[in-house]
Amino acid sequence: MHNLPPYPTVLKPYGRAFVELARDREEILCLSGDLTRQTEIDLFQEEFPDRFIHAGMAEANMISMAGALARRGFIPFVHTFGVFATRRPLDQIVNCVAYPNLPVRIVGFMPGVSSPGGPSHQAIDDVALMRALPNMTVVDVADATEIRQAVVAICDVPGPVYLRLKRGEIPIIFGARHQFSLVRAHVIDDGDDVVIFASGMMLSSALAAAQTLEDAGVSVGVVNVPVIKPLDRTTVIEMASRARAVVTAENHSVIGGLGSAVAEVLAEEGLGRRLRRVGLADTFAEGAQSATWLFKKYGLSTQDVVDASWEVLGRDGVAPQAPVLVTPPGEYAPV
Amino acid sequence: MELSRVRELNRAADLLRLRAVRMVAPHGFGYLGQVLSSAELMAVVFAESFRPGTDELVVSPGHYIIVAYAAGPELGLLSEGELTTYGYDGSSLEAIGTESSPVADITGGSLGQGLSSAVGLALAAQLRHETSRRVFALLSDGELEEGQVWEAAMFAAHRGLDNLIVLLDANDSQVDGPVSSITTLDPIADKWESFGWAAYDVDGHDVASIADALGQAIAQSRPAIIIARTSTARGLSCLPEGADGHFIKISGDLIDAAVAELEARRA
Repeated sequence: MHNLPPYPTVLKPYGRAFVELARDREEILCLSGDLTRQTEIDLFQEEFPDRFIHAGMAEANMISMAGALARRGFIPFVHTFGVFATRRPLDQIVNCVAYPNLPVRIVGFMPGVSSPGGPSHQAIDDVALMRALPNMTVVDVADATEIRQAVVAICDVPGPVYLRLKRGEIPIIFGARHQFSLVRAHVIDDGDDVVIFASGMMLSSALAAAQTLEDAGVSVGVVNVPVIKPLDRTTVIEMASRARAVVTAENHSVIGGLGSAVAEVLAEEGLGRRLRRVGLADTFAEGAQSATWLFKKYGLSTQDVVDASWEVLGRDGVAPQAPVLVTPPGEYAPV
Repeated sequence: MELSRVRELNRAADLLRLRAVRMVAPHGFGYLGQVLSSAELMAVVFAESFRPGTDELVVSPGHYIIVAYAAGPELGLLSEGELTTYGYDGSSLEAIGTESSPVADITGGSLGQGLSSAVGLALAAQLRHETSRRVFALLSDGELEEGQVWEAAMFAAHRGLDNLIVLLDANDSQVDGPVSSITTLDPIADKWESFGWAAYDVDGHDVASIADALGQAIAQSRPAIIIARTSTARGLSCLPEGADGHFIKISGDLIDAAVAELEARRA
């Protein structure tokens, strides 16, 4: 079961789950790139100071060290913002982690345009960069329930993992019975007209958009795809085959991420479904005081998912309008 | 150091050179200059300090892996026969080190990353209280142009990684020419000292000086670096003047002359 927005939120679900996991797993090390509180690992630092390593603002060194620590039986979790976790030390990830296929967990916070910190702080290509690397698993989760489960699930993946996490207040979309899987995408709704594949922060937008479209008589499938690599091809094929058109929604560039991964499967299977990719349209995102404004300006709102679905289905007239949600303090609703 | 030991270590260095000539010869060119420059440094490390199974070796510039291969038979990690596969299709002895490369614990072709890897190994030993384990990292001077080296140097000193020893082959050679004509690295020792390291600036072809510095480096209570001043033409007088030290061409009569020169000196 999932709720509809606005959602209740929690703080530091990753940090808490990570501490719980580390309690039983002494081989876990926690590395910080000078963003300890921002990446929720102040909790780990308090609990296990001897296993907490300040690497400082030196991401290249941090990643290469983590690779060597992993060779010696540790499971290093490396933390910083997504941009600094992927774009900056890319060559180190390739040579010291991905190629030797080592169990380093790279945890990148503040995905896509969720930060008004300008292009230097916006991880809009992290999924693409990590997805291109052999051996790498790429995870972009949607809510606190999935975060808690994903932390445990990725711990024992034999190779490297990139875990992409929203910063700050994390919505609770799924109930306690939800089961995160590294193998299977999660079909939330079946639909004959359009199927929306969404990851991370855009899942709540997809769910809200689906509601608006259903109200206008469109049959919408919604699939939560937290694991972008390895992609669950079976579910993509199954759900896309059932629908007339496909929409992807990701808080990332439309190049190289979820949209590209789904497009590859559609083309390889010759499914012939029209596709619209909601995401950053090959652009950097400037000029913001708030993330909300960026989501609107760059076409990542719920309405953009509705419009893309309406258009790809060739429907006439104006697309139905998603309601503007009033979000009380401490709750979360997609833009 | 006793003269007989000096002679033994010099013979060991020339054996590395001889094996390198034989590995490179069938291909007509290769990373021979790197062995010519680092032969004494690595011969002393392997004979005097490095304990296989206990200590760890990182060869940061992947093309230097040839010197580790050359030492493989004495370390019991490679056969002489395996050395003949060097650089051929299908061999695990690739000219630039890979994950399949024997002898070294970690190597890397993308320069400037090996010190961080060595720091990771040294940190692992520190976290596990494996106090006797030492990590040796072979670096080249050209690599000091990479910023990551200095990130790692700062971190190692901050964590007090006294089990870490950098072996710097300062041969003043990089692809575009002498390092000193491209980037001023000196004073190298002062740089490392100011980063919190113990630094020893030595004649990298003088085995007694190298051994003495190594002994002091190991005894230090902070990370240490041996700066071995070397030449890529050392030990082969038959090489033509101005040969490209980074990627030496060697064929025909020159191979025979090189082998004869080294065998004569080892006799």
